[in-house]
Amino acid sequence: MSNRIVVDPITRIEGHLRIEADIQDGKVVDAYSSGTMVRLIEKILQGRDPRDAWAFVGRVCGVCTTVHSLASCRSVEDALGIVIPPNAEIVRNLMYCAQYMHDHVVHFYHLHALDWVDVVNALQADPKATSELAQSISNWPKSSPGYFSDLQKRIKGFVESGQLGIFANGYWGHPAYKLPAEVNLIGLAHYLEALEWQKEMVKVHAIFGGKNPHPNYLVGGMACSIGLDDVSAINAERLAYVGRLFEEGKRFIEQVYIPDLLAIASFYKDWGAIGGGLGNYLAYGDLPTNGYNDPSSFLIPSGAILNKDISTVYDVDLREDAQVQEFVSRSWYEYADGDGAGLHPWKGETKLNYTGPKPPYEHLNVEEKYSYLKTPRWKGNAMEVGPLARMLVGYARGREDFKEVVDMALAKLDVPVTALFSTLGRTAARGLETQLIANWAMDFYESLLTNIRNGDTRMADTTKFNPERWEASAQGVGHTEAPRGALAHWCVIKDQKLENYQLVVPTTWNASPRDPEGKSSAYESSLMDNTPIADPEQPLEILRTVHSFDPCMACAVHLYDEDGKQVNRVKVL
Amino acid sequence: MQTTTTYPNVLILGIGNLLMGDEGVGVHLAQRLAKQAFSPGIEVVDGGTGGFHLTDYFTSYPCVILIDATLDGRQPGTIRLLEPRFSSEFPRSMSTHDIGLRDLLEGLQVMGQLPKVYLFAVSIVELQEMYIGLSPEVEDVMPELEKRVKALAGQLVGEKISSSAQSPSVHRV
Repeated sequence: MSNRIVVDPITRIEGHLRIEADIQDGKVVDAYSSGTMVRLIEKILQGRDPRDAWAFVGRVCGVCTTVHSLASCRSVEDALGIVIPPNAEIVRNLMYCAQYMHDHVVHFYHLHALDWVDVVNALQADPKATSELAQSISNWPKSSPGYFSDLQKRIKGFVESGQLGIFANGYWGHPAYKLPAEVNLIGLAHYLEALEWQKEMVKVHAIFGGKNPHPNYLVGGMACSIGLDDVSAINAERLAYVGRLFEEGKRFIEQVYIPDLLAIASFYKDWGAIGGGLGNYLAYGDLPTNGYNDPSSFLIPSGAILNKDISTVYDVDLREDAQVQEFVSRSWYEYADGDGAGLHPWKGETKLNYTGPKPPYEHLNVEEKYSYLKTPRWKGNAMEVGPLARMLVGYARGREDFKEVVDMALAKLDVPVTALFSTLGRTAARGLETQLIANWAMDFYESLLTNIRNGDTRMADTTKFNPERWEASAQGVGHTEAPRGALAHWCVIKDQKLENYQLVVPTTWNASPRDPEGKSSAYESSLMDNTPIADPEQPLEILRTVHSFDPCMACAVHLYDEDGKQVNRVKVL
Repeated sequence: MQTTTTYPNVLILGIGNLLMGDEGVGVHLAQRLAKQAFSPGIEVVDGGTGGFHLTDYFTSYPCVILIDATLDGRQPGTIRLLEPRFSSEFPRSMSTHDIGLRDLLEGLQVMGQLPKVYLFAVSIVELQEMYIGLSPEVEDVMPELEKRVKALAGQLVGEKISSSAQSPSVHRV
């Protein structure tokens, strides 16, 4: 006998995700992940000028707006054979680093921490003990007893009023919360401090991209100009400001995010054996230091790992027909040549065929099609993408900088390397890579200053901007590593217009339904891996594992289903 | 609504997804207003699907007029002016960007940094295809929406009411 529970929508994510899980003897024994909104951005792009695509895809999502614009520019540049100047590469990298630092911190504190931190319990903490604890794990200055006691007083009124969702809508008091009240109070304090901090970090986008949200990109380079004494350009004053933003960002990550992550993780080591799932990891790599066409120069290396075997890293080629393919046998689409086929994105098709139940419904028919997400596979394998995949590929490739931060965390937590293949590992990997990115950002910043001092202010190559210089037909692939995982845009250009445009986004890799062979993707597989459910009415454990992937359904799927998205948290049958 | 409180700066912030038809009504309005001249103190921003990226706008202005779409079952094109003080008072079915936005507003509330917020909520129907543009029902109310947003912004910065707008042009529906 098993119970089927439905969590719909999963809260604290961007977009709409539904999980159905079968529970037996207090554990998840089967799980289905469904995107119940549909995305049709591909249709909007068909027939448009390829040079404009970045602006449209940048609007897909509010969380990772820049990464879609980046992937789009790279895709078109790849098709047209455009190589951007070094400064444009550095500016893109700096915006990328700022995006990561912002996004990972916001995910940790505002979307994921409340799965581990019981904010209501924080009211029970002793401010003096909290202060001593905070000072023992970090030099961060906001740590006096008075600071924590003032915060408690302020929060008390809000908790009692029941008017704020963060205090009203959680599973507070759930037995799976294990932190002492003092750690909960530190977590709550930094939830609020991170909110204040993140608004500074995104200013990097406004400086280089002209505006935020949705900063400007340019096929061939970047749209900003450098002139140290020019009031309207990236001048000396703005560059100094960027330097300060990155320094302050790095300080917050080193003195707040990482110590909090390790402190919280030390109470949840059991989650180092929960939620691992596939054991297959895929990264496309990013942060080029010698051009997009030289993957060996990427600070985040590319590669694939199968069956948790970190002694072998496979090379990845996104152009090869048999490597990346999308299947629709369990998705509400149809292919011209039948649903059994897998299509490489250059030949991708986007034709809807909803065969699910008419809303409102109790259950999806999970034996047939049950999601608006397609199912991508790498050489036929289900793959996990995201921070854990990137850290493992870097680690397995023997990169010293990756090994240093990973080994530091393993030693501090006193857990074996196998603990990485888990929900805890996923959440830890996100923090550790933020640390790496914050370090690299300072290097990129120095390189930009050096180039400018040496008189190189080139920011774009416009020699091929004119469509008359293009081949009659061309195809390209633009890949990047979005904060939540490997992302690529494939474009086909014909007679100066986009003939086909396909996005395979990170959440599609992770949250997709089963493939024609019945193999689960990452969310389902992770939920089926040793996930306890203490209380089916409050499936906090499901949220922990799903949130550890940092779901962002906005670009995976779009558009609401017809049930008006009523909050229907859990159904026990 | 006749408001007597005035502010030195007022931000008109249109939010929504430009790729999702009527869902982008706030952005369409912001882009339209961005081409116009306003009294000193009134600024316009296209907030797109900004979420957390919009924090600085909320903390830099004492008063923000938000324009967004809602899927609330009302006649499409219905314009409502709300004064939400807590995220729980925002319409439940705001759009894809509501997750970040609600968390953001709650955090600002706790920190005592939430500005005065007016929300123009425009009712839309479910969309079946992504497209760029507005349906006739919503397009038809754009002039009224524009007029009401501008009148409220004017009142909030203490503009003198001109003879052509003697009666309060902004009121709760």
